[in-house]
Amino acid sequence: MVEYGTTTHLEEFGLEVGTPSVKSAGSLAFGPAGILFVGDNVGAAIFAIDVDDNETGSGPHALDLENFDTALAAYLGCAREDVAIQDMAVHPASDNLYVSVMRGAGDDALPVIVKVNGDGNISDVSLENVAFSQTILHDAADADDPRQVSRQQLRTVTVTDMSFVDGLLLVAGTSNEEFSSTLRRIPFPFNGGFDANSLEIFHVSHGQYETAAPIRAFVPYQGNAKILASYTCTPVVQFNLDEFAPGQQVKGKTVAELGAHNRPLDLISFEQDGGEYLLVCNDRHPLIKVACADIDQQGPLTVPDRDMDSSPANPVTPPNGVPRQLLPHPGVKRMVNLNGSGVLMLQQDDDGHSHLHSYATDTL
Amino acid sequence: MTQTRRLRLEFADRQGSGCLLITGWPDTEFAELCGLTPGELARRVVILPSDVLATAGDDYRAFPTIAGSFVLEPESVCFMPRFPFRDGMSYAVVVDSGASQDGPQVLTIQRPTVAATPTTEVVAIYPTAAEIPVNLLKVYVHFSTPMSEGWAAQAITVCRQDNGELLEGVFLPTPPELWDPSRRRLTMLLDPGRIKRGLAPNLEAGYPLVEGVPVKVMVAPDFRDAGGRPLVAGAERCYRVGPPRRERIALHNWKLIPPVAGSAQPLTVEFDHPLDQALLQHCLTVKTTDGTPVSGQGEIGPEERSWRFSPENPWDTGPCRLTIAPHLEDLAGNSPLRVFDRDITIEDDAPTNKDALQVEFNCAPAS
Repeated sequence: MVEYGTTTHLEEFGLEVGTPSVKSAGSLAFGPAGILFVGDNVGAAIFAIDVDDNETGSGPHALDLENFDTALAAYLGCAREDVAIQDMAVHPASDNLYVSVMRGAGDDALPVIVKVNGDGNISDVSLENVAFSQTILHDAADADDPRQVSRQQLRTVTVTDMSFVDGLLLVAGTSNEEFSSTLRRIPFPFNGGFDANSLEIFHVSHGQYETAAPIRAFVPYQGNAKILASYTCTPVVQFNLDEFAPGQQVKGKTVAELGAHNRPLDLISFEQDGGEYLLVCNDRHPLIKVACADIDQQGPLTVPDRDMDSSPANPVTPPNGVPRQLLPHPGVKRMVNLNGSGVLMLQQDDDGHSHLHSYATDTL
Repeated sequence: MTQTRRLRLEFADRQGSGCLLITGWPDTEFAELCGLTPGELARRVVILPSDVLATAGDDYRAFPTIAGSFVLEPESVCFMPRFPFRDGMSYAVVVDSGASQDGPQVLTIQRPTVAATPTTEVVAIYPTAAEIPVNLLKVYVHFSTPMSEGWAAQAITVCRQDNGELLEGVFLPTPPELWDPSRRRLTMLLDPGRIKRGLAPNLEAGYPLVEGVPVKVMVAPDFRDAGGRPLVAGAERCYRVGPPRRERIALHNWKLIPPVAGSAQPLTVEFDHPLDQALLQHCLTVKTTDGTPVSGQGEIGPEERSWRFSPENPWDTGPCRLTIAPHLEDLAGNSPLRVFDRDITIEDDAPTNKDALQVEFNCAPAS
């Protein structure tokens, strides 16, 4: 068991005690020693925050919280409509759930990191006088700055998903002008630098390679040797992490298309009966399960097939790509692996109310 | 102090932070409150948004209480919320001593609504060309002040000019909304799935626009600025809708009007068709032949059909070059290197390399 102590973290991970200037709370990922990475799209920054969560021994949590959004509204003293749940992550040792939330909008918007323990009790992570460090991705350069052209690709980055793998924070991002895609690899402790790779994928239904579409969600799997990324409308693409050399364009292997009219919302991996599986939740299509073994056996999809997406209502029917299974869990917006014991899902009902439900892996 | 409970609620400020005062306690009860631990006090005096209490019904402990702390003042219980009270919202206080036969007492109070005098305007809607291609990719809306997120989908619409009918599914669904860092410029992407031929959305629903049917892009006045206020007024821009544009930006079709050597006249570049306004702002640069940038100011012309560059210092006599960033796009997302929606059977449309993205010019001799 790792001993968590702020003093150790300060030195080992380059943290300083202070008040991080978090302008928005988006993607979450846990790093070493329970340090929480928080993606800040408004500030174009990523913060590493010691959440100082020393609870241990409570075992895996099986949260089932009806009307979780109403509970957040109660805790935050606002209307349910003012609660925007952004992302979820589970602490690797305490099993407590951390949720990034934006309370309100515009000038009044407040970023909050909410903690939910195994009893369902809600508290929040103080963002004042905490041990933290930050790395700036890139903020907007002066419009008249001639260096802006060379920086342009990095200027208006939005973090869509993050994951910590072998000392590197992987950050998928989009830019709002170029519709372009990069995967950044940021060493931690932060040293102000990072590597970025542009990505190339084959979009089967469009019949061409493209470098423009952004990753929406990704997950490391197979012992962190590979990542699987999902794109809007909806290619699923495998990348080998050992092919990411600094500055190179990396070509992914398109292994499936999950159908048109659809945006993937989240992607996680879990183990079942000794095998590794992936879950993709979507804004339009049902929850989709894919076996990693099938992905590895799947050859790259490189042949244009414009008929492939012609049945958007039923993403099982496309003849190409890995087999996939539809799961019955409705309205899944976010998912998180409960440290191996199960999967926690944020599910929205037809009335727009959000609930947290846990599912043991053998039931999925 | 009295011996009967006459509880009143009042918003107040303590050290610059808003708080809620609960007064009118009987002496005995107040003395009892003073002896409670913070946890016990929080169970005795429960504070919730009124909407949450309504959802909870009788089981007012079904949800967490508002995060915050209690301070006991000489005659009142002061609740300091961890997150500021929201203007216009109603809050409920449930006082449950456990002793009253009447059950818990519920009081409510509403935060005043801040007067919302609109001050924010729509500064511009791009493109400004009178005619757009049917495969238009982006619309930019510029506001005079930073804006709230979450309004784009409902406040920005497109209708036919001939019968006023709203066009459905024109824009890529949000979130995420695409704002510049200052949150003054919103990028609305027309659904690329409907623009790229052969994709299911295109096959099923066709282009978001209809060639030959004029349209109007409308920004509704209820779009909220960062302060939560609506706009001074709505805004709109009308377009004719022309044929699709599916070819690379051809630099050889541009017309460069060189300035006179030794003068500070602007260099003018006229395009053969309108280009993307946001990208034009920083995709064109003027350099000397050794690659040194020439200092000066670029300005986009009417309908994004031209660009003028005014140098800070008079032009030298030697040749200069206009360099074009490869990601410059026209209204349909075509760049100098590639066609946005390319027919892969057309060899000539294959992406090209970026070596040739510069145009040399010589200043005109002084007369």
